[in-house]
Amino acid sequence: MELKVRVNEVEHRVEADWHNETLLIVLREHLGLAGTKFSCGIGQCGACVVHVDGAPINSCLVAIQDVANKDVLTIEGLAGDDGSLHPLQQAWVDENVPQCGFCQSGQIMQALALVSDTPDPTDADIDRAMSGNLCRCGTYDRIRKSIKRAALAMRGASQ
Amino acid sequence: MISTSRRKFLIATGWVAGGVTGLYALGKHAVAVAPTIIFPDDTSGAAWVQIRPGGICHMFFPRIDMGQNANTGLAQIVAEELNIDVLDIQGVQPSTSDVPPLAVTAGSMSLTAFSRPLAVAAATLREGLRERAAVELGEPVTAVLDDVGGFQTTDLRKVRYADLVDDAALVIERQADQLVPELYAFNSSRQKKQVGHSKSPLGIRDLVTGGRVYTADVPMKRVLYGRAVQPPVRNARIASLDTSGVAKIQGVVALVEEGNFVGVVCTTPSAVDRAMAQIHVTWDLQQPINEEEISRLVDVDAKMAAGDLEHILQDKAHQPNVDWSIDLRFDVQVQTHAAQEPRAAIARFNDAGAEHRLEIWTGTQDPFGMQRFASMDTGLSEAEVVIYPQRLGGGFGGREHYEVERDAVKLARAVGLPVKVQWTRADEFMASRSRPASAHRVRIASDEQGNLTHWWYGYVTGHVVFARERLPGWLLPVARLSEDSGVVKGAISPYQAAHQRVECEDVDLPIDLGVWRSLNGASAIFAIESAMDELAVLQGKDPVAFKIAQMQGEQPRLAHCLAAVRKLSASQPLPEGAGYGRGFACGIYDGRCFVAVSADVFVDEVNQQIKVLHLCCAQDVGMAVNPDQLRAQIESNLVWSIGMALFERFEVDDNTIQSSNFDNYTIPRMRDIPSMDIEIIDQPSLPPTGAGEVALVAGPPAIANAIRDASGFRALKLPICFSDI
Repeated sequence: MELKVRVNEVEHRVEADWHNETLLIVLREHLGLAGTKFSCGIGQCGACVVHVDGAPINSCLVAIQDVANKDVLTIEGLAGDDGSLHPLQQAWVDENVPQCGFCQSGQIMQALALVSDTPDPTDADIDRAMSGNLCRCGTYDRIRKSIKRAALAMRGASQ
Repeated sequence: MISTSRRKFLIATGWVAGGVTGLYALGKHAVAVAPTIIFPDDTSGAAWVQIRPGGICHMFFPRIDMGQNANTGLAQIVAEELNIDVLDIQGVQPSTSDVPPLAVTAGSMSLTAFSRPLAVAAATLREGLRERAAVELGEPVTAVLDDVGGFQTTDLRKVRYADLVDDAALVIERQADQLVPELYAFNSSRQKKQVGHSKSPLGIRDLVTGGRVYTADVPMKRVLYGRAVQPPVRNARIASLDTSGVAKIQGVVALVEEGNFVGVVCTTPSAVDRAMAQIHVTWDLQQPINEEEISRLVDVDAKMAAGDLEHILQDKAHQPNVDWSIDLRFDVQVQTHAAQEPRAAIARFNDAGAEHRLEIWTGTQDPFGMQRFASMDTGLSEAEVVIYPQRLGGGFGGREHYEVERDAVKLARAVGLPVKVQWTRADEFMASRSRPASAHRVRIASDEQGNLTHWWYGYVTGHVVFARERLPGWLLPVARLSEDSGVVKGAISPYQAAHQRVECEDVDLPIDLGVWRSLNGASAIFAIESAMDELAVLQGKDPVAFKIAQMQGEQPRLAHCLAAVRKLSASQPLPEGAGYGRGFACGIYDGRCFVAVSADVFVDEVNQQIKVLHLCCAQDVGMAVNPDQLRAQIESNLVWSIGMALFERFEVDDNTIQSSNFDNYTIPRMRDIPSMDIEIIDQPSLPPTGAGEVALVAGPPAIANAIRDASGFRALKLPICFSDI
């Protein structure tokens, strides 16, 4: 059986040896996209968040079979082809968010879902949307500021 | 006159070619299984900083980055000395064969211990370049002035570093007896361009774009996947083992059994999961593992009733039989690291004749320790083993041991192919070397004016630095005769009394223990600051003024922090009404770092919860090298304080570790985070003090004192639950 998945607008054939793996493992170990992280394995921390057909999911909980022929967006697909950072990534740099950095791919992908649905998020919106993403270094306050900064930039760009 | 020398510089073994061997003999004689403790001196930095062809400043980072971004601050110091921008530095994390042995990255020591050796190395390089420039320009050295990335004369003839280095990297050795050149970074009257300015962490772009910076991200051809069973405690022995189901799992390459080690190697990660589920182990334990047993072992009152505790840390005219104004017992539960990255390692054995017989990629605080451990484990010489240190997805003191590395080494050796081991989150909790439980008895007596007269503080805790298997078995009982430097952190209070006694005892607990952020500092200072706050409340005094008065002028830097945080907190009024409270606490970490925190809390009777509303922190950092990154570390410590004070409970029962993931070990989330105001107290003429684990000593007691202010409830144990109130 052939299994294909589109990741960051590129179609990949998943080889048979990898058909029993999660989306997270296939991304990291088979397709060489290591930006998405494994941290808890049970959907409790958000380090592995990617978008499938535009919706954020914990890729550690999704079987690769379940995303056959779907569109997956990972952290590697956010920056422009010219290397320009996505406004969220730029805000993360401007606010110097990362400490150890391990959770930040998932944080950014979760934040992308938030600002896509809610162009001007309040603190309560951020609390609701981001409380599934853990950061042991405690960069939350900077994540909050970055989301607001990026949302502002994105609203400006869309006007 | 600075002697300079140019050498053919071998990139891979630069320090050997650079001729700085011999300074590091200690590394060879260090106790093989203890963490590496080799702190640098004024001659050490030559191995780390070079000018390469094209005038590029190449820097081997001497520290492991795990979120504290210390190498950015150190690079700022190098840049200051060399009159370049920090972004012009080409920074590389060295392998164990690139540089001489370096100390374990721990103890908030990176800036404190490494900033001067690096400044000396870079300044020595600068002055050596100046001599060359003088020759180039035909001017005396004194007429060759600094310029950006080079030098100039008074008539503005310029020469760049690139012009002064040809086909080989320039390394300049400095002998211990040579004069130290002027250190720009440490000249407090100098206008600086790098030091004292906020800079983004080097490599930040990789961290927001999914770059390969952590161990499990390292690409590796023909890699297999493996994992081993983690025992609940490392002195456990396998009592029974059933692996009969492993053979029928598709994708299993090898089942490896060696003493108490049992693991598998498979072709894919999910095959590892399925194979591990077929391994059933029961363990023989030397002590039962449960909370009652731990509480019994650290029972400070039982120990103090039986006589002196093991270590007397302070004894000044002690009088045990007085009328104590405060006589309180505080208990602190076991808490653990729960870093975001579960450990991983990749090991690869190479054929005889290869430069290294064993290569290990791992995120460790102690690469040279791993090299020694792997050498002992395999019988290879240290030179045959190389460690490629990767960025850590959080360390917090928990990553100094040969553990996931051992798993990868044993499995890779068994199959003769590279093996990647990725611990699960459950492995991470099971094998964590947590911060021990402790119990504290604080007794304070005061005179009619309320001033302290007697201070008697005793506590019992599990071992920290001298925890089991951190040292070889033969050395442990000897080492434990002396004070455990982790256990004594925070014990001596800043408050003055005519009669003072501090004593402690460290005991063997039935779980694996080790170094956690601030070591014992946060536990001891929680007890001390809670007790002092209670005394202020009983006397009807303002706790900040009371504490400053009781320091009797002996701790001006700490008193300044406390006064500063009071002022900072005053800018945001506490909401009026029942359930709101504000608390203060201060502390000294490791005798050199000074901090004070205020907390505003709401004890919410309706929703049955305690909410931290606002935190302020004033921290005296010595020389502030990178103010924004210091701020980031303080924010991190404040968030960690919320977890320590209110959430984190490492559960053990039924002879095993029960906490296994983030659904049963709660750490702070976005919704728990209050607003924060931070003041960095910069002392440009004093050395940097470190910040990685400092504010944590004052955060939890500030929260506890705020709860006292809000509700009248004095928290006597951590974490504090609403149901306790």
